[in-house]
Amino acid sequence: MPIVLFRVDERLIHGQVVIGWGHALRPERYLVVDDDLAESAWEQELYALAATGVDVEFLTVGGARDRLDGWRADPTRSILLTRDVRSMARLGEGGALADEQVNLGGLHHEPGKSELLPYLFVTREDREELRRLADSGAEVSARDLPDASRVPLADLIEA
Amino acid sequence: MGGLQLFGLVVLGGLVGLDGTSVGQFMVSRPLIAGALAGWIVGDPATGIAMGAVLELFLLVSFPTGGSRFPEGSTATVVAVGTASAVGGPGALPLGVALGLAWGHLGGSTVTALRKANTRAAAAPGRPMGPGRVGRALTRGIGMDFARAVLLTAAGLTVGTGLLSSPARAWPLSDDRSLALLIVGGFVSAGISLHGLGGARARGLWFLTGAAMGVAAMRIL
Amino acid sequence: MGATFLRSFLVQGAWNYHTMLGTGFAFALLPGLRRLYRQDPDALEAAIRRHTEHFNAHPYLTGVALGAALRLEQEGADEGTVRRFKTAVRGPLGSLGDRLVWASWLPAVALASLVIYWLGAGWAWSSAFFLVVYNAGHLALRVWGLRAGWSAGREVAGRLRAAGLGELAERLGPVGAVLSGLLCGVLGAGPLADAGDGGLWVALASAGFVLGLAAGHRAWRAAAVGTVVAVAAVVVVSSLPGGAG
Repeated sequence: MPIVLFRVDERLIHGQVVIGWGHALRPERYLVVDDDLAESAWEQELYALAATGVDVEFLTVGGARDRLDGWRADPTRSILLTRDVRSMARLGEGGALADEQVNLGGLHHEPGKSELLPYLFVTREDREELRRLADSGAEVSARDLPDASRVPLADLIEA
Repeated sequence: MGGLQLFGLVVLGGLVGLDGTSVGQFMVSRPLIAGALAGWIVGDPATGIAMGAVLELFLLVSFPTGGSRFPEGSTATVVAVGTASAVGGPGALPLGVALGLAWGHLGGSTVTALRKANTRAAAAPGRPMGPGRVGRALTRGIGMDFARAVLLTAAGLTVGTGLLSSPARAWPLSDDRSLALLIVGGFVSAGISLHGLGGARARGLWFLTGAAMGVAAMRIL
Repeated sequence: MGATFLRSFLVQGAWNYHTMLGTGFAFALLPGLRRLYRQDPDALEAAIRRHTEHFNAHPYLTGVALGAALRLEQEGADEGTVRRFKTAVRGPLGSLGDRLVWASWLPAVALASLVIYWLGAGWAWSSAFFLVVYNAGHLALRVWGLRAGWSAGREVAGRLRAAGLGELAERLGPVGAVLSGLLCGVLGAGPLADAGDGGLWVALASAGFVLGLAAGHRAWRAAAVGTVVAVAAVVVVSSLPGGAG
């Protein structure tokens, strides 16, 4: 199980991921999948600051799709992060994330978003992308920290 | 307690409550400092800091991190010291500290409640976001936090002096034993702090070195 | 910059669950934004709007983001860049600040102050020691952060890395452990031993310590509730007819 966590979290690498999930899963690498970030050196530097000694790679969605199978076979324990639902849904197109657990960890409030959980606010487009992700075979659920309870997608949005 | 002292304590509660999150965070809100200041107001800073030190020991592992809810040590310490000074008697210190622990928990929930009220106020839609509105929103937030801490302190002093006068007079334990009883609880926090620093395996040797030095220092002094 | 520095002390003044430090962040930037957009009220309003949006970080390190945001505004960076910068910088500023200040610096200075107090320093020395030492670090961090952000703008990651704040937190770990040991030694050989009862109190305190060490934060509530219950039990027992009182 070399990709130990797939997570959608707007904050990407931050306290909950590094401390909360990091202590539980002991990752050796973070894979940040985002088309814009993959092109932006100064943003990568900022995000990498929070990783405290763990390697970070930044990839486009297309680049990540090509390497998914390689990571799965690689013994290095990785946490894969996207900062929006859309990138994760694109990653999962064609069943690439079939039967994987996909964790929704944090999308903050903005005007026009509706609240699913105190740490999860979504737009109408996010809802559609979530359905698309689930339809592609991924098991989607929300959980901010490893010791919190897991809320399945079906309990968050109507199918 | 005189009216002026009561007024002083309540204002102090408001100010140290603000320091916890809203204004400055110079950590005058830590129990050690709030205790010394409250003691100074009631004319007995030595007792004030003695109670503050015990509460500080308990709250060593409680930090004002943004989102999480933790007991509020600042107003709780003012309540503890003010109550102890008002009720007097052999049980003033242990009963005051116990009240402080309970009141700190209540204080933590009022912080959360105020943040929810701020959230509703911030969510009020439609109005233009001019410079004036930002200043007003901040003033409102800080004013509400001050009022919250003032009311919390006043309520705590009222409850404390009302409930604890006669048990404080009838308290059976000696001062030494009362202090030891409280420190036993505080040692749990000391253990938690070592846990947070990396646990016994990573830091045990450092801890034991310190402990040996501490025992030696007490023997010498 | 001076006005922004002073206003940065209020950055958590309207903390809320939606925008967190948003209101305080915009308030701290206001003097600078007013100067930049003096001629253009619409641009000023747009700038205020983007800076009241969600932001969160450690309060002492928020100055890094404030300084850099002002620099970006002054350089005429587009709205998307400003937003992306603030989004990227809040995570590292939050986690670095939590580790350095709340988990290392504050406990170390508080432990040292308690040791000094129980070694017999008076109330004035103990509290002055805490306030002076703690705030020397606090204010240095705030001043450094605002200046680093202002001079480096969006390239501030390099400054943060070079400052080695994470490594500093790491180095404070052993210091905290020694101070924690010192405090336990002082209390054990002092107030706990003085209470007598054949070492009963030292034994109870040691058990409490091991509980905290093993269980971590979960043990805290048990300790607080247990202490309140123990005090209440003493009161109840002493009020019974023929009781200890």
